[in-house]
Amino acid sequence: MTALLRYQLDLLVRSQRWLPPVILYAAYLGIGVQSGQPVLDSLGFTAGGLLPVAAWLVRICVTGEPDAARACAAAARGPARAHLAALLTALLAAAALGVVATSVVTLISAPADNGHQIRVPLLKAGAAGLPATLACALIGAAVGALTNRPVLRSTGRAVPAMLLGALLSVVLTGSPAQAAVSGLVTGSRTGRITVPLLPLAAALVLAAAAFATAARLSSRRSP
Amino acid sequence: MHCALRLSAVGRRYGIRGPWVLRGVDLAVAPGTLIRIEGANGTGKSTLLRLLARLDAPTEGRVTGRPRTAYVPERFPAALPFTPLGYLTHLGTVHGLSRATARRTAGTWLERFGAGGYADTPMARLSKGSSQKVAVAQSLLGEPELLVLDEAWTGLDAAARAELERAVAERTAAGGAVVFVDHDPARLAGTPDATYTVLDGGLKPRTDGGSSPAGPLTLIVARGPAGGALPPDAARTGATALETAPGGYRLTVPASHSDILLRALLTARPPWHVVRVTPPPDRTPAPDDLAPPPEPGSRP
Repeated sequence: MTALLRYQLDLLVRSQRWLPPVILYAAYLGIGVQSGQPVLDSLGFTAGGLLPVAAWLVRICVTGEPDAARACAAAARGPARAHLAALLTALLAAAALGVVATSVVTLISAPADNGHQIRVPLLKAGAAGLPATLACALIGAAVGALTNRPVLRSTGRAVPAMLLGALLSVVLTGSPAQAAVSGLVTGSRTGRITVPLLPLAAALVLAAAAFATAARLSSRRSP
Repeated sequence: MHCALRLSAVGRRYGIRGPWVLRGVDLAVAPGTLIRIEGANGTGKSTLLRLLARLDAPTEGRVTGRPRTAYVPERFPAALPFTPLGYLTHLGTVHGLSRATARRTAGTWLERFGAGGYADTPMARLSKGSSQKVAVAQSLLGEPELLVLDEAWTGLDAAARAELERAVAERTAAGGAVVFVDHDPARLAGTPDATYTVLDGGLKPRTDGGSSPAGPLTLIVARGPAGGALPPDAARTGATALETAPGGYRLTVPASHSDILLRALLTARPPWHVVRVTPPPDRTPAPDDLAPPPEPGSRP
């Protein structure tokens, strides 16, 4: 599995296909987050934006190899494991991006609530922002896993389904990502920090189920 | 019989209501055997090979056995952001080698297929044939227990085609199973342990084994024990021996397996003495070949 992960990670880095989503995410943060804004609000914004980026990274990783090259690697370790390696690579990349973004945003934001009345310690805010960001990365990766190869194979269906799935998981009540983000945004209004551990756990379970489903299907759908 | 892999009543179709590509296929792949799959275009040969490589799960029936498998697709696109050496090092580690071993073995295989010069050229700049050499090298890195070749010879130059035949011979001699599809009827002619035809979604063993066209044969003149039989390893290469004088033998062997036969003769106890090796007459002898010009009629 380590060898497959290293292979996929090298493939992702060298392909340079990660550039568009990362640049878009940086632009999104550049527009929406400014230094001196309330920390929890900015962290909520940072986490929410990572969800479609994670889905997009999954799409890049599972479609990165030509079919023939994928078959070569899959023969050695089994198609399910090869697919899982691609999904985990995307999740790792999204998580790493989220950790960097969360750290930067925490450092440049104001340690205060929306009304600048109540003090919100930066370190504690960051500790709440990190699980929220990871929950969004997990849900985004789950959406990506279920809306790309091998579940949906044609680009015409996969991309709209992925975008719709990502949008719904940010806004719909009941989604762990939405719960995590709204926890931060509400916290910014009230000045109370809630660490979204329950949404993170739920996101972990959902992502594991989505990854398992996609990996299981990888040998059942046509190439 | 111990099997590396067994298909039992296997069927495969794409989509829930798609037509059956294969149905009721039974196939046992024993270690050390060479199996040829034949059939017209679009009959499901590639699907069968994907099932054997466990890339596809069967829609019905069972596949048992998990040999270490390597697969060579028919066309290997070079659209990967690696150099051949970088890609093969990754694939070698995926096949279970350590990084250093993978890198060394990758270099060796690229050399063997005459692609050592491109080891550090970006794969996007390789020709079709050179990328196919990378695909073939990938499959041989990990000394797989099952090697699945889907028209792997397509696009290779003559030297690389012969090298791949020899590599297949080495693999089976080392106890690995090899299953291949190729459109050239002379490919590894005379050496498959079994030939199957994919027909109407089923698999039929070809029993007229003797009718497979003869490929290039190498003639070996050797001295061994008088009245003795070939060493067991040598007999498995498909060689035929004719005792011309007491202890003097003329051996004919499919050219792909001549190295295996020679190794078996030289390492037998007591070892045989190799007097002369004559390559197949239709092959241009390389300058360093020690063989005299083939005598007329030496090819049986």
